[in-house]
Formats: sequence, C-alpha cells, structure tokens
Amino acid sequence: MRLLMTASQIRGLPVVTVQGGEDVAEVRDVIYSPEAGRLVGVTLNKRGFLAGRSREVLPAEAIHAVGQHAVMVLDESSLAAPEDAPDDVAHPAMERNVLGDDVLTEGGASLGKVADLVLLVGSSGEVVGYQIDKAGGGRGYIPLPAQLSVSGVALVVPNITEEFVQDDLVGLGAAVDEFRARLGLP
Amino acid sequence: MSESFQRSAGRKVMSRSSAKELGAVSHLLVDAQQRQIAAVVIGRGKKAQLVEWAQLSGFGPDAVMVVDEGALQPPADDRERAAAEGRLELVGKRALSERGNELGKLDDVTFDADTGALEDLLIGDRRVHAGSLLGSGSYAAVLDESQEPSP
Amino acid sequence: MGMDTIGWLILVVIVVVVAAVAFVVIRRRRRGGGVIATKDKG
Repeated sequence: MRLLMTASQIRGLPVVTVQGGEDVAEVRDVIYSPEAGRLVGVTLNKRGFLAGRSREVLPAEAIHAVGQHAVMVLDESSLAAPEDAPDDVAHPAMERNVLGDDVLTEGGASLGKVADLVLLVGSSGEVVGYQIDKAGGGRGYIPLPAQLSVSGVALVVPNITEEFVQDDLVGLGAAVDEFRARLGLP
Repeated sequence: MSESFQRSAGRKVMSRSSAKELGAVSHLLVDAQQRQIAAVVIGRGKKAQLVEWAQLSGFGPDAVMVVDEGALQPPADDRERAAAEGRLELVGKRALSERGNELGKLDDVTFDADTGALEDLLIGDRRVHAGSLLGSGSYAAVLDESQEPSP
Repeated sequence: MGMDTIGWLILVVIVVVVAAVAFVVIRRRRRGGGVIATKDKG
C-alpha cells in the first residue's frame, strides 16, 4: 500500500533543511519529466506572505524526500543557483504545463485530460500516476509505467491502463503495484 | 538526574563565586547533532544573555549555578540571537520527520542535568528517544524516519 | 453634506473587502506556480 499525494499539493510546501530545521524556501513550480517518470526539480518562492520568486532552484537530486507537509533537503547548500542546475529546472518551459494535456493509449483511445500528477509520498519525486478528467466526465486516477512517451500535446500510456482507472487516490495506491506487475516492471 | 525543559523554565540562575542571583532560565539552546544542551539563555529581550553549558557548575532542581558572572555573554551570532528571541525553543516546536511528514508538537524534552545530554522528546503521548533527533531550528525539529507512523 | 454612521460603516466594509481581494490577487500572482513538463527528451 503506497501513500500518495498530487503535484498540486506539493506547490506551496515549505522546503525544510534536515540539519538546520529551517524553512529556507517554498515550492513554486513542479518540473516533471514524463520520459523519466519523475520530478526533475522544483522552482522556489521566498518564504513570506507576499514574497515573490526566489532565484535559486531545487534539482530533484538534491531532494531528500517529498512529504505531505514539507519537502526535505539536507541543508541550505541543496538549493542551487540557476547556472548550476539543469536547464529544465533553471528555465522551465512555462508553456509546457502538462495539466490539460490529453492522455492517449498506444492504441489511440483517449482516457481524458491530465488534471494533476500523483507522486509517492516519502520518495524524492517518483511519479506513479495521473489524476485525470475522464473523457466521459468525472475524475479518475490512472497508474503510470516508469517511463512515458510524449507526443506534442498528448501523453501516451500503455493499452492496459484503460482497465486500471481508479476512483480515488487510495484505490490508485493499491493499483500501482498490480499494474506494474502486469507490465513486467519492477 | 533527569530534568525537563518545561520544569526548568524560569529557574533561578546564581553565580557560584558571589552567590548573586543573575536572572532566570528563559530558554535552553540545543546542539541537535550532539543531542546536547549547548547553552542556557537567561533573561529576555534586549537584556538576554547566554551561558555555555561548560560554564555551569551545576544544574540543580532549585537553581542553576554558573561558575561566575563573567560567563554570561550577550548573543554573539545569528544563532545565539535567534535563541535569545526564543525562535529556537524546542518546547512547542513542530516535529517533522526526515520524510517530510508532521509528527506532532514537541511538548517537552528531558535531559541529564549532570551532562546536559538530551534523553527523550515528548510528542503528545509518545516518548521518543533523543537519538532520533537529526536537526532543529526555527521552523521544526527534524526526527529520523524510525518515527514515521506505520501506514 | 455629511454621511451618517451607516454610510461610513458601509464605506469601511467596502474598503476592507477591496483590500482583502487585492491582497489575495497580488499574492496569487506573486506566488505563481504550475506543473511543467521538461522541454527535451529524457
């Protein structure tokens, strides 16, 4: 049974250092690689009610864990200057907001549109599924394989995904392992 | 002998050499990595001063004895200033696991009055060994993942 | 012309509401944020 959370729930979480117990920043954008099946990093806001964007970013390698209440890093040096971070994180392609993209099976059936990403709580950013607005209406949750292909404005998933559409995050937590076993994945 | 942060708040601080009363304990500054009390904050606001644990001749149930008055120093750096302002106080601090999940609020912390070594952290009705403490600061006390609630 | 108490009260309420809405809008714009896919493959 896996504990899950959505990418939208990560936005606004404080970034806290394990060694210092300090909230050094806040999550602004969540940057995701569909091909890698995981977060590649996060852009940051400064802490404070009306505070704006922070120059520094947080690459996924520097994330110790993403939890329900905070994103943990070891210490302040985990935050990177944009020139020291991967380009995708330092200069996110704001026009490539995945939310709203079509989800298509390899066979060409549309399952709906991406409403949110679903991540494994406590990991350093592993994406295990999508929350979708179903083609027929209503919300659903689909598990994802470890890697995915992107074609323009659509995300392509294996055909058997159609059998695994869940009604809630709890159902998805239970479905992920079975789904991956069916695909012959770890 | 075992002592607690809550019980020792407000305790009289005296100079051993002159028997003069120097003030009262307002906060205890902790070195989380050493799991040890680093210093005692005496007094509040602009007048707050710190005494290093090594400069205490005894942390007794009725009074904290300082070697002499000269051991009291105004805050020397950002961390000591934060401690003097109470921002690093462990009692009432949010307890966070290293996995990023909230565990509750630290209600109290016990320590060995002879050595200053931290013993237990009290979170609600749970008693957690201080060995689980990975770090603490103004936002949270971070505990290792052995403290994660079971799924 | 003078405003009666009710008039002032209504004015205060309007100012408070406008200020609150302004804060929310400004905050949302400064905080920003979205879920972004990477530009390149892999």
